Amino acid sequence: MSPEVALNRISPELRPLLCSVVRNGRVGLDSTNCLRVTDLKTGCTSLTPGPCCDRFKLHIPYAGETLKWDIIFNAQYPELPPDFIFGEDAEFLPEPTELPHLVQWDAGNPECLLQLVKELIQQYHHYQCQRLRESSRLLFEYDSLLEDPNYGRNMEIYAGRKNSWTGEFSARFLLKLPVDFSNIPVYLLKDTALDPGEDVALLSVSFEDAEATQVFPKLYLSPSIEHALGGSSALHIPAFPSGGCLIDYVPQVCQLLTNKVQYVIQGYHKRREYIAAFLSHFGMGVVEYDAEGFTKLTLLLMWKDFCFLVHVDLPLYFPRDQPTLTFQSVYHFTNSGQLYSQVQKSYPYSPRWDGNEMAKRAKRQLRPELFAFCMAKVNNCCKYLQKM
Amino acid sequence: MAASISGYTFSSVCYHSANSNSDHEGFLLGEVRQEETVSISDTQISSAELLQVVEIHNHDPCAQLFSFYDYAGKINEETLNSILKDRRKNVIGWYRFRRNTQQQMSFREQIIHKQLTQLLGVPDLVFLLFSFISTANSSTHALEYVLFRPNSSRYNQRITLTIPNLGNTSQQEYKVSSVPNTSLNYTQVIKEHGAEFFDKDGVMKDIRTIFQVYSALQDKVQAVCGEVEQSERVKEKNQEDVNKLKQQIALRKRKTAEEERMLREAQNADSHSTPEENTEPSEASPLSRITFHTPSAPERPSTSPNPPSYADLLSQDDSLLSSSSPPTSAALLPRPQAVGSPGHPTPSPLGMGLGLGLGLGAGSNPVTTPSTPYLGNGDGSSSDSLDRQAAGQEDDEDDDDDEEDEDEDSSEYENLVSEAAHLPMVSASVLAQGRPAALSPDGDARGSQTT
Repeated sequence: MSPEVALNRISPELRPLLCSVVRNGRVGLDSTNCLRVTDLKTGCTSLTPGPCCDRFKLHIPYAGETLKWDIIFNAQYPELPPDFIFGEDAEFLPEPTELPHLVQWDAGNPECLLQLVKELIQQYHHYQCQRLRESSRLLFEYDSLLEDPNYGRNMEIYAGRKNSWTGEFSARFLLKLPVDFSNIPVYLLKDTALDPGEDVALLSVSFEDAEATQVFPKLYLSPSIEHALGGSSALHIPAFPSGGCLIDYVPQVCQLLTNKVQYVIQGYHKRREYIAAFLSHFGMGVVEYDAEGFTKLTLLLMWKDFCFLVHVDLPLYFPRDQPTLTFQSVYHFTNSGQLYSQVQKSYPYSPRWDGNEMAKRAKRQLRPELFAFCMAKVNNCCKYLQKM
Repeated sequence: MAASISGYTFSSVCYHSANSNSDHEGFLLGEVRQEETVSISDTQISSAELLQVVEIHNHDPCAQLFSFYDYAGKINEETLNSILKDRRKNVIGWYRFRRNTQQQMSFREQIIHKQLTQLLGVPDLVFLLFSFISTANSSTHALEYVLFRPNSSRYNQRITLTIPNLGNTSQQEYKVSSVPNTSLNYTQVIKEHGAEFFDKDGVMKDIRTIFQVYSALQDKVQAVCGEVEQSERVKEKNQEDVNKLKQQIALRKRKTAEEERMLREAQNADSHSTPEENTEPSEASPLSRITFHTPSAPERPSTSPNPPSYADLLSQDDSLLSSSSPPTSAALLPRPQAVGSPGHPTPSPLGMGLGLGLGLGAGSNPVTTPSTPYLGNGDGSSSDSLDRQAAGQEDDEDDDDDEEDEDEDSSEYENLVSEAAHLPMVSASVLAQGRPAALSPDGDARGSQTT
């Protein structure tokens, strides 16, 4: 159910409360998606004219699971606080004194419901941590992480129900990795129209048994980060070492991610430097260049009355990877109707040169390459003419 | 745990709930009682089952939500008391109605339930949850109700709520509910008009009348029993007299028959010498005689059917003896007794046949005549037969011998019989076997013989 539909059907007095939940509601670590609302029903008689829905199901992402909680209002008494049914967690019973927004419920405050939900999630988190006590190993993991200020505060734990067949106990830790993504250039977004939300990297570690023999880690990145790092295939995290513990593993993953991010940032700067150097060297010959991502550069050069284009493509992992030079003729077509072009990948290059150096060398290199290019072009041209 | 609610209370709750335009709640009044069922089965001596039965008599709806608790779900005891007033001690649970929700206790309901359990001091407080589900186009509405017992273990929380007579009453009888009616008006009316149906002890008048009829009938039956007893005794006495008279008649007949026979024998015996052995059997066969003549023995009851037949038998014998025709085998057949028993039938009919001849010598003892067994022949085997007979009475092992001896005897008897009287050969062989045969009043048992 889309938020708009939900807002249309709910009773007018309750609308502001729901609005803040579906529009702005971000709860927990995984805040890429808003809270979802389904199953809108009414508590009034069927003769009451609509819209009069006052009870619904709220889907809350938490520790890799989705909690489905029923929230029950009364449309006839909108000033009263709601009641909750915590789905399958029948044993979860928070202490009302720990829920200040319930005790001092203010129906006039649109944020009240959202705040109350956040407080409930906090209590739920405590409840799940309590359940970890059933496994001493996992409790140790939790305590050790808690001590570390980097991870302790941004942790969600879901202690799974014991498997009724095997009596197994499982748990999932969802940790927010404290990696600084602020320096990643904004340009690396796929689609700027859509708000990608906060840049976040979440590490989910699933313990399928209480003895931590089956551990499955997984890294979740927000879309912009994922794109910036070159896609989901680019980043592989190491497997969880058997007998290891989270307090060692998580920093390891963190470091890996940080390094990657650093590399990407550096690459960006390097590219910028490169383009800048080319601009200064080739000056008027620049046709166009990518001023945001600095990934492409096109030059129009002339040599002995012979004009040609040079496209420079800078790869993502520049300067580790060599830029591609593409020579393109402005006069000749190939058989398929494209402008005749020739790609040059293997030319003297070293990633240790700075941008200026690369530009200078490129200038020098262009001549012999050019000669080869022209010759090739002429040959081709002759062939073309012969055909004609 | 079981629970029941009367139909009218249930419908009242539903009515209140359905008419409210929001969630609705209230209290359930009633009582909890313990039922103990003791069952005895083949596998165990006895097993007692304790069942707690919750009966819901009435309900007390709350005027509005949050009437006795605040936003945090904390109950205000004063407000609670002002709502319940003196009904507080009857509270056994509370109920809540909410539309279109799951059948599960909500967060606030659980908190309130815990507090109510403590405040009201009811350890097994129940919670009745109504939920009203309507389809999207309002074509079907379902009222679902579940009774919870949240204070018990997690897995045993739902209790079945029975509503008497809510169901298919064409198959079952209309049941009188155990849930009493606590309405004041009802009690008043019953009080006013109760005197017409109930007497001062609280028992229905009709019952008392019926009981009186029953008692009268019982008395009558007792009286009749007495009369029957008396008449039976009279009948018994009369039967005895009749039997005695019959015996006397039989005796007399026999006497006369014997006298006639003796006369005839005496006439016949002039040409023959009467064997001395005849006297011996008369001495030696008192037992057999006695066994033969026990129809009216003291040990036998007068009401036994056998005696008459024996009396008939005796009379038959007499008639046979009196007539010149040979006695029928029926008259000669021994009493049905087991072989080897003390009362083993000796070939008394043999003696009977011989009695014809013996009767002459033993005229003073006419009784013994028909039963006098003829034993042995003239060569002294009579003593053996005597021994055999005695042996046969006391010792089972000599039965076979007895049988054989009887055969021998019978063969000798046959000889004698052919000499003494014209006895049928068939009867002799039958006698030798000692087989009992059916005794018919007319003494004609030839047809029943199977030899």
